[in-house]
Amino acid sequence: MSEITITGLNAITHPYLKVWDWRIIIYLFLGGLSAGMLVMSSIANLRIPKQSVKELAKCVRAPFIAFITLAIGALFIILDLGKPQNLIWGYLTFQPLSLMSWGTWGIPIVLLLNALYILAVIPEEQRYRLKFPFLLKLSEKLASKVRALAKWNFVAGIFLGIYTGVLLSSFAAIPLWNNATLPILFLVSALSSGAAMIVVIAKKAEIKFLFTKIDIWLIVAELVIILLFFYGLYTSTAPYKKAIKPFFSFTSEHFIFSLALISIFLLLPLALRIKIGELREFEGGFQGDFTKSQVFRMNLAAVLVVVGSFILRAAIVYAGQLTKLSHY
Amino acid sequence: MPKYVMVIDIERCIGCMACVIACKKENNVPEKHFRTRVVEEVRGEFPNLRMELRSELCNHCENAPCIDACPTRASHRAKDGTVQIDRKKCIGCKACILACPYDARYSHPEGFADKCSFCEHRLKEGKKPACVETCLGKSRIFGDLDNLSSEVVELLRRHDFSVRLEFAGTQPRVFYIKRSFTGGL
Repeated sequence: MSEITITGLNAITHPYLKVWDWRIIIYLFLGGLSAGMLVMSSIANLRIPKQSVKELAKCVRAPFIAFITLAIGALFIILDLGKPQNLIWGYLTFQPLSLMSWGTWGIPIVLLLNALYILAVIPEEQRYRLKFPFLLKLSEKLASKVRALAKWNFVAGIFLGIYTGVLLSSFAAIPLWNNATLPILFLVSALSSGAAMIVVIAKKAEIKFLFTKIDIWLIVAELVIILLFFYGLYTSTAPYKKAIKPFFSFTSEHFIFSLALISIFLLLPLALRIKIGELREFEGGFQGDFTKSQVFRMNLAAVLVVVGSFILRAAIVYAGQLTKLSHY
Repeated sequence: MPKYVMVIDIERCIGCMACVIACKKENNVPEKHFRTRVVEEVRGEFPNLRMELRSELCNHCENAPCIDACPTRASHRAKDGTVQIDRKKCIGCKACILACPYDARYSHPEGFADKCSFCEHRLKEGKKPACVETCLGKSRIFGDLDNLSSEVVELLRRHDFSVRLEFAGTQPRVFYIKRSFTGGL
């Protein structure tokens, strides 16, 4: 038995950490979504080799929405900063061990690569929308380099997807976050939500169907990694074992975390089921347009995946701050 | 250059909390925030109880996770080996607060991260930190580990000592002298 009374407590760290809140969750979620969309749109534009550039640029709106998503996400982390006016100091140094430093440098670079990619994939007949002549010229120039830019954006997307997880896993003081499975889980969840988002926004039936198929594998991987994540912590030492308790304490004040885990394990398999159903319908090949109901089902499954990805991040960010290495 | 450390003699703490107040006053620590704290831990089953009073503060770790987490070098190691925060450079990302396993940091209402500085300004004047100066029971002892004739070297030589969460690998510079009480850190 032990009873502890502490004089001189700070509300931000006791009785549990209240350091990062919904702003970081939105940042991680939108960052992941953007990462997934970048990777998936690159795959869409790279999957058929040696095709002429004109026919190639099929996934046009995804890079644009990925850019806006990431920009909004970045805005949320800036909102979370206590002194954003000092941000310039982040650009006067690079700290390889600080994940925040990687983000400070990485996000503008990803946004730049993304912007170039957008210019490259704009179809010729839409270029007139670019208001500035230099953008028009740049767009014409970059159009021939769309393949190379797609490759760069693939790398940028993978970096961003992993980064959102490593940012959390780098904190040794927080047992729930501090493991190598988390970045992989966040990457796969980012890729999956990115693929789902493309299903929602894509107009071309072929693209919708392609990403519905790709997402099946990603959801399966995500579910397996979630199980491994919890199993790894369960078999670890006391603070780590304690860290996953909120997810399995159905009656306590942490019920919301159990609920989150249950939701994830309902939403993702349901999405999986719908997607496999779609796949069966097109076993005989793909002809013409989709019916309204097919589009609805594909969109519904995609929305479930995106919601699941959001719940996952929110639960892990909040639950992580409930447990420390020290016992008080 | 000196290697400043603090030794905390657990058995000499009387729980007067003067250190907590002296620190707040000396460093203008804002309302509802603290740079140091006193933990009163009672163990056992009634009537066989044992109480320990323990001061806690920034450990000025040799392997400081807060410095690694800082994107701007606002959290840095000063020449005297202590861990300090450059308020001008802090962007208030709070990564250091999460990185510290000792919960030694807090977010200042003005936006930057803040913590115990071992009263850096006083050290420059040759004085001891305010909490050490005010400690009634002489539970807090401060000194230079590289000065072999200092009190801290003598205490660490004579007594068994421990650091908080040794397994975290941070190599703290705040040592707790153990005479009879074991565990609890």
